[in-house]
Amino acid sequence: MSAATTPHRHRSAGTVAGRIVPFVPALIPAALLLGIVVELLISSKLTNFGLDFWGSNWNPPDHWGIAIFVTGSLLTALPALFFAMAIGLGIAIASTTYLPGWITRFLDPFVDLLAGIPSIVYGIWGYLLVAPFFGTVINPALYNHLGFIPGFGGVAPRADGLGLPVGIFILTLMALPITTLLIRDALRSVPRDLWEAGLGLGATRWETMRHVAIPYGSRGILSAAFLGFGRAFGETVAIAMVLNVVATYPINVYGSTATMASEMFLLLDSAFGNSQYLAALSEMALVLLVISLAVNIIGRRLVARIVTYEVAGL
Amino acid sequence: MASATAGLGTDTAQDLLFDRSFRTRWRLGFDKVIGWVLPLLFLVAIIPILDLVYYIASQALPTLTWTVLTSTNPYDPDALGVPILSTAAIMLFATSLAVLLGLFGGVATAEFLPERAAGWVRMTANMLVGTPSVVLGYFGYFLLVITFGWGLSFVAGSVTLAFFMTPYVFRIADLAYSSIPRPIREAAYGSGARPYQYVLRVAAPIAFPQILNGVFLALAIGVGETAPIVLTTTQSVIFPPTIYSPVTFLTGTIWENFSQPAGSPSLALAFQAALILLVVVVALNILVRVISARYQKRLEGLYQ
Repeated sequence: MSAATTPHRHRSAGTVAGRIVPFVPALIPAALLLGIVVELLISSKLTNFGLDFWGSNWNPPDHWGIAIFVTGSLLTALPALFFAMAIGLGIAIASTTYLPGWITRFLDPFVDLLAGIPSIVYGIWGYLLVAPFFGTVINPALYNHLGFIPGFGGVAPRADGLGLPVGIFILTLMALPITTLLIRDALRSVPRDLWEAGLGLGATRWETMRHVAIPYGSRGILSAAFLGFGRAFGETVAIAMVLNVVATYPINVYGSTATMASEMFLLLDSAFGNSQYLAALSEMALVLLVISLAVNIIGRRLVARIVTYEVAGL
Repeated sequence: MASATAGLGTDTAQDLLFDRSFRTRWRLGFDKVIGWVLPLLFLVAIIPILDLVYYIASQALPTLTWTVLTSTNPYDPDALGVPILSTAAIMLFATSLAVLLGLFGGVATAEFLPERAAGWVRMTANMLVGTPSVVLGYFGYFLLVITFGWGLSFVAGSVTLAFFMTPYVFRIADLAYSSIPRPIREAAYGSGARPYQYVLRVAAPIAFPQILNGVFLALAIGVGETAPIVLTTTQSVIFPPTIYSPVTFLTGTIWENFSQPAGSPSLALAFQAALILLVVVVALNILVRVISARYQKRLEGLYQ
């Protein structure tokens, strides 16, 4: 195998160095990744915060519990992932099955474009336009009509709208291109024979999609969920702008909380010179890194090859 | 078909061909309705984009003058000349470094590594892409700013950004070199080319558009990134920066000013920076897609 793919090898200079040097640049990503882990471990000085680190008492410089931030990240990323998957599945089905090619060629780039917009631009738009809209229209409507559901009632939502709903909305937009692209690829990979067999048996397009195409592409769809979650989980700046970051659990669905990434981003300045503070933040960075990488690896292992490279975070 | 069944007896052709049961009508009707409903979900993507672009433009354009765009006077806080030029300088430096690292790495992976090892290396590049940008900002902060003692500076920010962009260039360089048609490779080596001759003279012209694409993609992703650069530099009103001086960046300008009171010049500045960013990023994204589509055609042509 290696002889077939590297025919030049037999002719390269016989020295050991001549054989090793060409491989070295290939290790750049691995070296960077290793460097990140090692540097974060060094700057955490392997400080042991014990069980307190996993608790919910975040009160520097006495208590360093990150449970609030992990919960906050999950509370924003999971609903966003749910919406992004549902909408992405719908868009992918419409684009692969129901719409003629010339309309798809016109509409698909809009979804791709969502991935290109910088998160800080989402942030300023979310902070100044979307959040007031949530504060004056959507949150009061949910509060008044769904207030009987636990979590939707209680303390009235803030008038400026900053909080979980707008954060979830922005994260949905950011995860949507990833989920849509991957589901689209998964559905396109369904062999034409299978598709036509379904239609030929008298199933409608929807039934063929539901019983043939989606089961066939299920691994790809699952990988879309993992990678979309990774994108939403690690998002920093947009969340820091629209969530009204505070280190508490949210009081209800309109409440504010903090995610790991946003809290790390906002707190680094105030930690300057305080080694214990920096150690706690480094360990939080390690936790965020480990979760993100685990999600990423699982998502990529599910599909043989991801076709699209032209999207941030994919 | 119709004539054959019509002769069979009691059922008419219509009844046999068109099942009129409620269940069938429901199935066909549902399929038709869903075919109209699902495309509406595209609106979830289209409306926010149009709304965002319109809002940013409507807030930025009224006070956007040529002076705002070009004034580099350090005593004029409401001008974007310094952030724009500084961003260009950072991007030039960061992209050069990222292309250097990514290109060598990608070509080495595609050309010189056995398939199994290449699979592992690609995995590490993908993992790097999946690393949250704030973690990369922390890496830059602890390694470059603190350990290396570079301070919150131009060089710390650019190198951090370069690390962020490297895996994107890496993957595209790898893709470009691995997707060169096998016969071309075999012809080159078969006629006695040395590895470097193949890489530079045979493969490079074919892979070039794709690699250019990778550079543009890395630019588009890097220029919009906030966390790595805000954590590793600090604002400055002076252009040009020196290596160890603070330097400002367009996303940093937005971050500093977005919570200013409505109607203030600082907020308008944030919107203008956002508009410039938006225009640059969208233009680069469109460019990437156009090049990518043309390159695919060219590759297909190579196989004939």
